[in-house]
Amino acid sequence: MDEITRKRLETIGIDVDEALGRFLNNESLMMKFLLRFPSDENFSRLKQALDCQDSTGAFEAAHTLKGVTGNLSMKSFYQQISSLVEDLRGGALASAEEKMPALESQYTQIVSILNQLS
Amino acid sequence: MKDFKEETILIVDDEEINRAILANIFSPQYNIIEAENGQIGLAATQEYQDSICAILLDVVMPQLNGIEVLRRLRLQGLTKKIPIFLITADAGSSTMREAYDLGVMDVIFKPVVPYIVRRRVNSVVELFRARHRLGAEVERQRDQLLIQAQQLAEMGMGMVEALSTAIEFRSDESGEHVRRIHDITCLLLRDTPLGNGLSESQIKLIGVGAVTHDVGKISIPDAILNKRGRLTPEEFELMKTHTIKGAELLSRIPQMREHSAYQYAYDIALHHHERWDGGGYPHHLVGDETPIWTQIVSLADVYDALVSKRCYKDALAADVAMNMILNGQCGVFNPKLLEYFRQVEPSLRKFYHTSKGA
Repeated sequence: MDEITRKRLETIGIDVDEALGRFLNNESLMMKFLLRFPSDENFSRLKQALDCQDSTGAFEAAHTLKGVTGNLSMKSFYQQISSLVEDLRGGALASAEEKMPALESQYTQIVSILNQLS
Repeated sequence: MKDFKEETILIVDDEEINRAILANIFSPQYNIIEAENGQIGLAATQEYQDSICAILLDVVMPQLNGIEVLRRLRLQGLTKKIPIFLITADAGSSTMREAYDLGVMDVIFKPVVPYIVRRRVNSVVELFRARHRLGAEVERQRDQLLIQAQQLAEMGMGMVEALSTAIEFRSDESGEHVRRIHDITCLLLRDTPLGNGLSESQIKLIGVGAVTHDVGKISIPDAILNKRGRLTPEEFELMKTHTIKGAELLSRIPQMREHSAYQYAYDIALHHHERWDGGGYPHHLVGDETPIWTQIVSLADVYDALVSKRCYKDALAADVAMNMILNGQCGVFNPKLLEYFRQVEPSLRKFYHTSKGA
């Protein structure tokens, strides 16, 4: 992986070495899933579900996002989405909603950087 | 590593990225089957259960979640056969406890760390493989022991037969007498209702008892045993003691006494000269006081003596022999026994291949 790509990934909070390790240094496999992330619909599903006060739908979408971002070692996003998942598991919709603005700005940044890479 | 490749790991997860990461870890060593929900995972388990060596199972899935899959696999007894690993993102939840109760081997947390997953899965797969090998080895050894036990039993039987035949030889009878008494007795027990209530293994033991019916003759002097003319009353009294002597002999051999055939052998040796009306010896038992199997041996003994050549007589034709028996010329027998004997007598002739009288 070239230095520029690595730097970019690091700016959006990705632990590149850890992520590569999870894919056993199969870089192309890792990049395939990274570049697919912007088209993942779970973030918009999460937003919609929260707007409709649909806690089950919100939980499912957040849970999936947590899994994907964990696998890709998006450290800071993963941390935030994890605590959001716990809110939703406990049915604390309001608390989850409070976390959304910060989460969304991170998400937007991640997606825009990844889109530049593809 | 190549030879392990016949073994398959089933990955059940609704997220493609999870399946891809796990498949990437295990594909160098195992065949991989992927299932994107619980329903498909369950169907794949059924179809490939003989080659699956581990199942990696996600918990939160649409259709059928991991816990539900686990429950159904357990109902089919598969959780004992195939090690199942629960892959979950939620540490410390109640699911984990439930999963262990349902029989998962281990719980692995997401996001996974490859070398840990590989290590844990491989050691359990190896454990199951070793257990399987050990089970197969135990089974092989048990079969071996069974064969050896059977060989021992056959050898014991061979010794009994050898002893009995040696005794028969003394009285100038062919060793085949013993074999035929055995065969006739077993045939009457197997092919007529006389053997009702007796198992095949009991019939075999009675057969052993039939073989030793005359062992008491070892105590009878040659001069009486091989006398060409009629025995004097004194000689006959002595001859009769071969019954009591035979039973006594058997009871003095510890190996015989512990043999499962002993109860039959003892009674047959002692009572194979009793008759239905009490006219026999040594105890003048009447009717069914003599067990039916001993009655059968008595009849077989008489029949064989009539149709064979002996030192004191020539061989008689089979129909002549049968008539003598039915007319009571050789003592009174159980009418029921006589009836079945009459029915099967033609098939007894096959035991006397070339000899006259058949």
